[in-house]
Amino acid sequence: MKQIERVSPVVLKSTPVKTEVKDNWKVVMEYKGEGDGPYLIDLTHKQRFDFQDSNLLEHKPFKMTIPETPGCSVFDKGIVINRMNRTQISIYNFNENNLVMPDDSGFTDVTEVTLFIALVGKNIFSICEKLTSLDFMDPGKNTPFLFQGPFSHVPCQIVTLSKDSENQGLVLTCSRGYGRDMIHAILHAGEEFGLKPAGEEKFNHFIKRL
Amino acid sequence: MMNRLNHLPTLKIDSSRKIGFTYKNKTYYGVQGDTIATALYANGIRIFARSLKYHRPRGLYSLDGECSNTCMEVDNIPNVRCENTLLKEGMIVKEQNVKGSAENDMMSFIDKMDWMMPAGFYYNTMHKPAEIWPFAMKQIRKAAGIGKLNPDFEMPGTYDEIFPNADVCVIGGGPAGMTAAITAAQKGLRVILMESRPWLGGFFDYRSSRYDSERSLHDRGVDLAKEVHAQENIRLFTHTSMVGAYNNNLITGFQIGKESDSFDQRYIEIRAKSVIVATGCIERPLIFDHNEKPGIMQIGCALRLANTYGVMPGNKSVFSIGHDLGLEAAIELHDLGLKIELIADIRADGQDPALLQKIEEKNIPLLKGWVACRANGNKRVKSVELSSIDGLISKKISCDLIVASAGMTPVTGPVTIAQGKLKYDSHTGFFLADKLPEKMHVAGRLIGLNDPVSIETSGVSAGLKAAFDCQSCSVEEIGEANKKLENLPAPPRGTKLVTAPVKGRKSFICFDEDTTIKNINQAIEKGFDVPELIKRFTSAGTGPGQGGIPGHNLPLYVAKYQALSDISIKPTTTRPPLVPTLLSTYAGTNHIMLKTTPMDKMQREDGGIFRNIGVWQRARYFSDDFSCKKEIENIRSNVGMLDASTLGKFRIHGPDSLKALQRVFVSDMSKVQKGRVKYSAMCNDDGCVIDDGVITKLGDNDYYFTTSTGRAGQTVEWIRYHTRYDKWDFHMVNLTDAMGVINLSGPNARKVLEKIVDIDISNETFGFSEYKELYIQECIPAKAMRLGFVGELSYELHLPSSYMQAVWLMLKEAGKEFNIQNFGVEAQNVLRMEKCHIILGQESEQRTNLLDVGLGFLWDRTKADAKTVGAVALAQAEKDKSRLKLVGFKMENNSRAPHDGSLIVDEKVRGYVCTARDSFSLNEAVGMALVEGPLSKIGTKLEIFEDECNGKLMYGKVVKMPFYDPEGSRMKM
Repeated sequence: MKQIERVSPVVLKSTPVKTEVKDNWKVVMEYKGEGDGPYLIDLTHKQRFDFQDSNLLEHKPFKMTIPETPGCSVFDKGIVINRMNRTQISIYNFNENNLVMPDDSGFTDVTEVTLFIALVGKNIFSICEKLTSLDFMDPGKNTPFLFQGPFSHVPCQIVTLSKDSENQGLVLTCSRGYGRDMIHAILHAGEEFGLKPAGEEKFNHFIKRL
Repeated sequence: MMNRLNHLPTLKIDSSRKIGFTYKNKTYYGVQGDTIATALYANGIRIFARSLKYHRPRGLYSLDGECSNTCMEVDNIPNVRCENTLLKEGMIVKEQNVKGSAENDMMSFIDKMDWMMPAGFYYNTMHKPAEIWPFAMKQIRKAAGIGKLNPDFEMPGTYDEIFPNADVCVIGGGPAGMTAAITAAQKGLRVILMESRPWLGGFFDYRSSRYDSERSLHDRGVDLAKEVHAQENIRLFTHTSMVGAYNNNLITGFQIGKESDSFDQRYIEIRAKSVIVATGCIERPLIFDHNEKPGIMQIGCALRLANTYGVMPGNKSVFSIGHDLGLEAAIELHDLGLKIELIADIRADGQDPALLQKIEEKNIPLLKGWVACRANGNKRVKSVELSSIDGLISKKISCDLIVASAGMTPVTGPVTIAQGKLKYDSHTGFFLADKLPEKMHVAGRLIGLNDPVSIETSGVSAGLKAAFDCQSCSVEEIGEANKKLENLPAPPRGTKLVTAPVKGRKSFICFDEDTTIKNINQAIEKGFDVPELIKRFTSAGTGPGQGGIPGHNLPLYVAKYQALSDISIKPTTTRPPLVPTLLSTYAGTNHIMLKTTPMDKMQREDGGIFRNIGVWQRARYFSDDFSCKKEIENIRSNVGMLDASTLGKFRIHGPDSLKALQRVFVSDMSKVQKGRVKYSAMCNDDGCVIDDGVITKLGDNDYYFTTSTGRAGQTVEWIRYHTRYDKWDFHMVNLTDAMGVINLSGPNARKVLEKIVDIDISNETFGFSEYKELYIQECIPAKAMRLGFVGELSYELHLPSSYMQAVWLMLKEAGKEFNIQNFGVEAQNVLRMEKCHIILGQESEQRTNLLDVGLGFLWDRTKADAKTVGAVALAQAEKDKSRLKLVGFKMENNSRAPHDGSLIVDEKVRGYVCTARDSFSLNEAVGMALVEGPLSKIGTKLEIFEDECNGKLMYGKVVKMPFYDPEGSRMKM
């Protein structure tokens, strides 16, 4: 039998120059000719959890406080918690190490449900504007914040992590099945802005600057 | 090519850069900045096209695309509006709607037959006799000027789309629009400014009249444009036309790309908190006999030809105007060398004294209270007949150019399209915005202003009002701006004249549809007394100019002809698109968004032939034999794998999760046990089956269930909707994409699977309808179910999507000794049909309920706690024997299977075939059909009408279901 390998729905046509195996995922850390950005980075291997409870605010998942208002997010120590609605949050773990899912029936590991990508670098919101009417640059919204809406006509969760012109970035999840066409749509929209695939190192660098 | 005027500061051309293009197979040259129409005009072309109905010669008239006069075929694309389309190197321009050439059109004789075609000609004549209509329609279409498009033509170019957001969207980049945008931006708001021309400036841009002692209007326009560019928070879209306005200030438009842009055209959808309309005015066409002949153009057209494009509009001219802009243009063009024989001003008085003085100084003859009555000349203007307004005195002057305009008329399309209301203003003669939609404001010439400073101040006021909408301005600030505006010159009195004193047989109110004043009169005399009806009866305003020429002239004329004391009549309804453009622009980038399963790549490598099924792409066949004989026989005798990942998969948990399941499923869900799977169905309130699937219990108040592929996207909402008043505490997670599904089927399925799993899967320990959680290769968690959709020993493995490929490869390896094969959706379809297992949507439709499709056994009538969705309707339908019933049938006389969808008939349609195939397992053709109750008895002969059977019916007989393995022993082995 061959080595068991997990496969991401995100297929990028660049040539990897540095890869690592993490929890059976073959993760590209760096691609050849990544350029100066903007970048599209596959984070599908990063953990995501769904937590639902009718009394959300009584919980402190991973010792973090859940935002009170739907659409708001918190980011701390590599973990993002997004308030989706009255009873539901999503949790993203950007850290190297996997978290142990709490022993609470309200949690579901949804890492496999979606593709998970980051758009990082200059002009990313101009790229997004070609695919969605969501207003990322709304001055009334402070980062991080969550959008749940259509992106290239597909329902997505998008968390804007930074609007800072020097270090713009967001992460996006949508149904895993849309992987091929979503990546095609984003890369096509980003063509005029020089959007290129990049490895996880670029995302780690972006996160460090937040 | 005509020598261009090169010294004017207002020019937008670079005459040092020549651009070559082909017209009528001959190479011509324009210059950088030209439109196709200005380049042709500069090359002496005066007749651009022929009109739609009468094939009358048509030339340059407005330069703003207000009519179809300059619609031509450019690079094989018909109906290109050449006056708005920038010239590009190598363009091939052709005349359209001509038999011969635009200069010598063999169809031009129709112009003499206008007496045969009164208003409503088609309605009156084309229905008697009815048989003539198909023939007549073809002939009329051939003659009509709609252009020709090769069906194989592929649209070249790149079409994009963007969806920007803004606080304030300003429509119109003239002085009012620019000041409004600057004002709003200075309040810190995000502003979008749309301008239809490729540059800012509006009607300041092409005028050299004084703005103040130091600057011309053009200079002032340039200064304002610089201010706009300096504002970081103004996003400027030039060469961008608004096409629609919708609720909540959603503004749509399209932009034409520059050479440096990545697109040729792009669709724009703007969401703004507040909208300012500053679209200014166009000219109200002057109606007189032959008022559309080549050589007749509007004031702005003549002035812009010279000032913007450096082209003299003619040699010897007569002006027939009703606005000071006409006097101003006459002076400017006179200074540039145009000979002006006479200015006939509709107005008896009220002209700007300074302009009158200049005209006198330049010895230009001026007649007040005079108007053009008739243009003479065969194909182009040779002379003009003028008369006093009352028609008492007349004179004739030879000329090659008539600059004609009745006055100004506001561009109200953006307001009315947003459901704003217009009201006639007797002072200006304008239909002005009376009631505006919420958070929409108007400014500039649109509200009747003409004084440059007044126009700008109205822009400031509108900008502040928009800022107020965004909570960035006080009422006091708006009050101050309004006060300032009150102290500036108010809107001037406008001309009321609609038509010269003529009979109107050849006086055109709509150029696009060749509608004359006489046609309007005919319509009114037939009782069509309002513009909306007249528009439909005469076609006036229904052409590519989107009503630009008839515009406000139509209601004004209708009011005049009926001698209405007050003009309560309104202009016709404006609808999107305000400006026509290419369908490719609306299509945008058109990313096709479909879902693929984790096995997509590997199945393609194995020869899978894919089809779109709902949002998914699935492997339907694995060979060119679409009967799937080998795939089917392999499952019946060996083992195969199907990718069933598209099934809906859900987790439902929480204290009230069982109550929610009881509500939506028809069965008693309290009987769902750990380690077992239960098949059940969901109905809508009418009892119609909408979904089916299996459910298992994972733990206390924790369930896992599947749904059909097509319904997966709606399941969560469906359950939430039907429990919305109950305040039950339960939660759902859509795991459809998280879990891939492999259906391992066939008599050898167990032998393959047991090689890779960590538990005993013998029939004794893992029997039919059982559920187990297991590990594959001690690493990959799987949910395994013993099901039998295809009627054989089957395992359904639900696996984390990222591991799907790994497990698929393991099964292939494990099944090598049995020659394991893929099977696709079509083979599955036949296999399950032989077993008479239904697929919702295939064996059911909107009318069929749970009982009709034979699933009544799923319905638990004793459920106490929950009101089951659809139960009431099912109870009522149970007694109705006439309903459609699902039956199995076999074909008679060794006939082949009929096509799916074929009708079951006697004297009437009695039902239809849902699925029928030639069964390789049974060696005969079988199928399932929905038929009316009386036809459902076993042994009933069915008459089947197949599409294109030429009356030759096929025959089948109702038989017992299922066809294959009725005892079900094979799936339980």
